[in-house]
Amino acid sequence: MIAPNAARVVAASFVALFLAAGSGCSKSPAPMAPGGAAPAGTPAASSGPKRIVILTNGPDPFWDTCEAGAKAAERELKLTEAGFVVDFQRGDFTDKKQIDMLKQYTLATDIVGVGISVFGPQNRNLIEELRKLQSNGVKVITIDGDVDREKFRDARYAYLGTDNLVGGQVLGKAAKALSPDGAKFAFFVGNVGAANAKDRMAGFVEGAGSGFTELSRLDDGGDRAKARANVESTLDQHADCTMLAGIWAYNTPQIVSVVRDRQIRDKVKVVCFDAAEASIREMGEGNVDVMVVQNPYQMGYEGVKLLQALVADDQSVISAMYPNYSQSGTGDIYSTELRVVVPDTGSTIAPTLFGEGTDYFLHSQFLEWLKERGLSSS
Amino acid sequence: MPPVSDFFRKNRNELGLAAAVLIVVAMTATLSGAYHTAAGRTETARIIFREASMLGIFALGAAVVIIAGGIDLSAGSLIAFSGTIFFGVVIMLAPDDPGTRWSSDPQHHFPQTDELAPWIPVVALLVTLAIAFLVGSFHTWLITVIELPPFVATLASLVGLRSLARLLIQDITALEYGQRQSTITINDELLTSISRESWWVACLIWLVLSAALWLLLSRTIVGRHLYAMGGNEEAARLSGIRTDRLKWLAYCISSMTAGLAGVLYACYIGTTSPATDGMGYELNAIAAAVVGGCSLTGGIGTIAGVMLGTLFLRVIIDSVAKLFRSQPDLFEGLVVGMLVVLAVAFNQLRGAGGVRKPYFPGALGLLNVAIVSALAGVMTALTSSDAKLRNGLLVVGGTLVVLGSRAIAERLASRRSTN
Repeated sequence: MIAPNAARVVAASFVALFLAAGSGCSKSPAPMAPGGAAPAGTPAASSGPKRIVILTNGPDPFWDTCEAGAKAAERELKLTEAGFVVDFQRGDFTDKKQIDMLKQYTLATDIVGVGISVFGPQNRNLIEELRKLQSNGVKVITIDGDVDREKFRDARYAYLGTDNLVGGQVLGKAAKALSPDGAKFAFFVGNVGAANAKDRMAGFVEGAGSGFTELSRLDDGGDRAKARANVESTLDQHADCTMLAGIWAYNTPQIVSVVRDRQIRDKVKVVCFDAAEASIREMGEGNVDVMVVQNPYQMGYEGVKLLQALVADDQSVISAMYPNYSQSGTGDIYSTELRVVVPDTGSTIAPTLFGEGTDYFLHSQFLEWLKERGLSSS
Repeated sequence: MPPVSDFFRKNRNELGLAAAVLIVVAMTATLSGAYHTAAGRTETARIIFREASMLGIFALGAAVVIIAGGIDLSAGSLIAFSGTIFFGVVIMLAPDDPGTRWSSDPQHHFPQTDELAPWIPVVALLVTLAIAFLVGSFHTWLITVIELPPFVATLASLVGLRSLARLLIQDITALEYGQRQSTITINDELLTSISRESWWVACLIWLVLSAALWLLLSRTIVGRHLYAMGGNEEAARLSGIRTDRLKWLAYCISSMTAGLAGVLYACYIGTTSPATDGMGYELNAIAAAVVGGCSLTGGIGTIAGVMLGTLFLRVIIDSVAKLFRSQPDLFEGLVVGMLVVLAVAFNQLRGAGGVRKPYFPGALGLLNVAIVSALAGVMTALTSSDAKLRNGLLVVGGTLVVLGSRAIAERLASRRSTN
């Protein structure tokens, strides 16, 4: 009979072997090339390729598109040949997960660049980890979700993503065009405290202007069931609610689902950020009035490009993206594309409503754009 | 029996776990660059010990309840609830920050949490622990007086406490920030330093608590009564042991350790978010206790075993984070789940039969030869960097041969014994 302590050692050995097998996941098919040399101050050199890590705020299809862009950059910029590998990792919509992962990045000897979508922009411990990474020589940028710019902008080199305040204003203007006499509306979002959420909602209120009354802003912590329950409870409590605004990508399918179940589409406008696959389909079926769409593909692509340029100290790329770089004002912000997508027919939202930098797409045109890139959401 | 072999016999569970920890650490140290510098080793040790301590503190509470024959499923929600109470009390006691204004009412200011007076966190901690004590007492009342099964009583808290915390945080933040929020962030240097230079605080609390509970369980009559109640509650009650009071003690230890862990987690993160904090942690605590040798039927388990079980889990998680460079978070659950099953399954070898027991009897046995083989193949394919299909199929074939041979041998042995 096997003694239990021996059995325990056997179990541990089994797990250890499994871990050893798992470490093979880090192997790169391509050899290391001299071009991948890290600048002075980077952590102790390791023999494999250098990693450029993108860390998301949570697991959401939005990030699948971003990953596609990051991987496209890896291919097209020939990063593998230059000794880099792009590693796309997902958070879980908590500060703890991001802090824990950043601590591990600090110890990794092969990470040279980190692009992070910050979940808690005011979280001191998360900021300290970003600062520690930078002091170790790792290049850090924020993508899609920035740190609190007033207090902590030194914790990253720059921000790359949508100007969420402008995005919110665009959605607000579109909402005004849909309901010229005003509306009573509610926001639905994963985290009301997230920087992108706060900016989008503030921008929406600003863009919509007078006549619009906010009934509530509810968060769900990334829990889709909770997201749906939030919509239901809002409609239960506010029978006069005439507009529902989805702020994060997964909120809109939940909104549409409730509106369809209750058969109140004729009374309620549905406006949203981002184009989840289900949201795109629902717009085609007439259940979504407008989508203000970011370009996560571009965020992934440009994010990797910038990180690689920072690591290699390629000033031409950096200057092209941040011509007036400064850690004050907006010199450290690179705005990615913003699109307004409306149904093919019957929309009261006109392209002339929006300023430069905002593209106007009909639903069918947007589908075509996605198809060209092999994407199902954006 | 010689004293040395007596020591090994008595502590074989703990020694086995200690050896397992060393093997995993040695493997990780060999393969991961993080161990190749002194600074990396130091920081890794800090991470492992801090994480093990925060998990270990409420795993100890969970273990006491399990040893006493109960179960406490409320730990995760209580961690979220305690973090909310702690940070909530802190911001209510903190002075105003004159440099800020409410958007809804410029006469009011946000609380100043950058440099808190020391008495504020002390008061907040005492309030939090007092409330955790009340939660434990409420559980005991539900179990002993209302006669709810422990699973149901603590399941109600698992669901209810998180919801209560989410409601509370909205009212607290409305009171202090002029608008409802779902999180509270504290910037005090001292409190948040648990994530950095004060990492040892959680370790110290864990060690002191472990020593105290070891004394309680191993050196006191109350401890022996807890084991007796866990082994056979009816017999313990008939022999004059006041089981209701013992349950009160066990559930209060569990809730107060979870409360303490909640405070530490909140400080470690710097933000309390009751919607997500401590999600699923009750299962981590139970896993640590079970891996450490506690029996879910009660009456069995040691504090040293639970400490080592906790350490083993954290060492494994740290190894996954370091060795699975791509998507380590996705592999973490797979490895930990496999580990828990293996640890508990090997524990069963202590029972009658051991390796001689038939593991693949009848149609169910044959089906599971296929299931386990397929699982081994899938895991191999997932962890292979290339030739995933080939490697997976090879392992499926190999496992099928080994387990299939075992199943055939069992059937032959069964026929021989029948004849």
